Amino acid sequence: MQGCGITETGWLCLVNPDKMHWYHWISLASLGICLLLSLVHLIRLIRLGRPTEYATPAGKINPAIGYSFTGAMSPAKKETAFLHLPTYFAGIAYHLGTFLAILLFFLSWTGITYPVVLRFAMAIFLLATSGCGSGILIKRMLKKGLRSLSNPDDYISNILVTFFQMVTAVVLLWDKAYPVYFILTSMLLLYFPAGKLKHAIYFFAARYHLGFFYGWRGVWPPKQA
Amino acid sequence: MATKTSLTETGMEVLTNGQITKGLEVFEQPAGSKLLTHLNSCVHCGLCAESCIYYLTTGDDRFTPARKVDIVSSVYRRYRTFTGKNLPWLVNARELNRATTDEMVDLLFGACTMCGRCTMHCSIGVDIAYLVRTGRTMLSNMGMVPATLQSTVNAAVESGNNMSIPTDEFVATLQWMEEELIDEVADPNARIPVNETGARILYTLNPREPKFFPLSISAMAKIFFAAGESWSLSTKMYDVTNYAYFSGNPSEARLIAERLRRETGDLKAKTLVLAECGHGSRAFRWEAPNYLQEHFPFEVKTSVELIAEYIRDGKIRLDPEKIKDVVTLHDPCNLVRNGGIIHEQRYILKHFVPDFVEMTPSGTDNYCCGGGGGQLAMSEYNDRRMKIAEVKAEQIRKTRAKIVVTPCHNCVDQLSQINITFKLGVKIVTLAEIVADALILENEKK
Ligand code: SF4
Ligand code: SF4
Repeated sequence: MQGCGITETGWLCLVNPDKMHWYHWISLASLGICLLLSLVHLIRLIRLGRPTEYATPAGKINPAIGYSFTGAMSPAKKETAFLHLPTYFAGIAYHLGTFLAILLFFLSWTGITYPVVLRFAMAIFLLATSGCGSGILIKRMLKKGLRSLSNPDDYISNILVTFFQMVTAVVLLWDKAYPVYFILTSMLLLYFPAGKLKHAIYFFAARYHLGFFYGWRGVWPPKQA
Repeated sequence: MATKTSLTETGMEVLTNGQITKGLEVFEQPAGSKLLTHLNSCVHCGLCAESCIYYLTTGDDRFTPARKVDIVSSVYRRYRTFTGKNLPWLVNARELNRATTDEMVDLLFGACTMCGRCTMHCSIGVDIAYLVRTGRTMLSNMGMVPATLQSTVNAAVESGNNMSIPTDEFVATLQWMEEELIDEVADPNARIPVNETGARILYTLNPREPKFFPLSISAMAKIFFAAGESWSLSTKMYDVTNYAYFSGNPSEARLIAERLRRETGDLKAKTLVLAECGHGSRAFRWEAPNYLQEHFPFEVKTSVELIAEYIRDGKIRLDPEKIKDVVTLHDPCNLVRNGGIIHEQRYILKHFVPDFVEMTPSGTDNYCCGGGGGQLAMSEYNDRRMKIAEVKAEQIRKTRAKIVVTPCHNCVDQLSQINITFKLGVKIVTLAEIVADALILENEKK
């Protein structure tokens, strides 16, 4: 099967709609809904804009916002990272796995094929990152403080993303899993704008506002004595 | 302010519809997308727990910053999001009822100094202290500010200063301090000018100074004298504090800020210098322009910046042999982490203190002393306030310092109590006091 999927037997390909099954259509519709609702969140944020500051600034905003996304996030500076290094690195791996799985989902519509070695490598990586996600989930269930902070959304979000990575790994190696893959992806896409997964949008706004706040007051980026 | 509530059949107080409506108005405040962003950003990772002195000293999960974020955003979710309105159990969206507000009062007023340490370290970037303030505003709208804190605000609103010091008493204290100054600098022309129009600087005070620590007024007057500064105090409005910032009442905060802004204009001062008060500096330097929605036509700076300037410009000289003890520095959260005054106080101290030791951590990472956020005014939380002070006591002990300097009168108050409670045996002073001690004056009495 040429130019039509990740595996040699072929994945869905938009240039060849004859091959689309019901689960492809469901995932396509879910993607549309997800993008539309995410856009609503995004437009609302952009329309509201940044707060008006009347105080005379003591620093520069843009370098502070840059620092907010870079240096301030590093384990050397962020206590939530350096006091919790295993969780921090598990979280990073988990997010990398999510980005890869999303990328593969989008690429699946383009007809790209991958060599067997790469498919294996990506599958192993995704299994490892989903293991990190499972670890974070287990921690949430076992630690009293985290459990009392958590609500069903926290568990559902983690389970959906972890399974998404797992099933992406499986489908890279075994194309019979397509229906499950697309159904699970659809569930994830539909859930995204409703629960905490939407922090994928708000994270950027939060780091922006934090950089703006500390930049205006001359706190960030750190000044030399 | 008394709150009108009704009772259920079981005798439990319930919130009125009016109170609920007023409380929810907080989500409509014009803050660009800032409020919306922070209300939607927390991922419940729980990693911020160790950044907060309340959790560190008690190990109580209720006191983690995340729980403070959650109680505010859970109400937001219940009334302002599709999921929270339709599936509240899914996202723990909470009704705004008596149980919720009781918990909010305990967590947001009674278990947070609004120090912002957690904000700086949050894994996402949630401005936790800002959400705590938002929650306090919600409670303030509903008439639920703790009476102790509210009475401090009321004193400032009604009398012009938070300790209700009568003007004649204030004037008498200034006259007494002027005599002290004349004596100390051995110059009959030394003065503490009052209500002078056209002086370059209008200086402010924390009312604790005239009330309990008048020598800190003469210390700053001595620095002004040495620098040959043109300055004045106002008897009409000198209070640098603004406890309405802590109570979360923007209209009262606006009223207090407006008085100081107007007085600076009336006396035609070019620069308003904010006395050593962390929250006062923050409230006027950073928040007041927003409360009043105007760019001030005069310069606003802290006394810390001014003293550093005097040294840099050679206007004052300090004796490097005067202070022989080990000195450490406590960074007030609102001045440093939330105000950007980080290096000036270090520049000053390193200029004349031979044995200066930093606390660990320090600067923007420093731990709150425990007296911020209006805690010193809320006596009902005194035990908790001294419990969270364990962190600061340990930090001080580890420096082996004999003198703790802090550019904040509220911090001085809390640190003095820490000093007694934890038997630290240190001396707590403001920056102006230690600088005034080391000033080199031509005529000074030996
Ligand atoms: S670190 Fe930030 S995102 Fe994580 S629980 Fe605390 S407030 Fe929420
Ligand atoms: S602002 Fe300070 S006291 Fe309040 S939750 Fe954060 S770290 Fe704790």
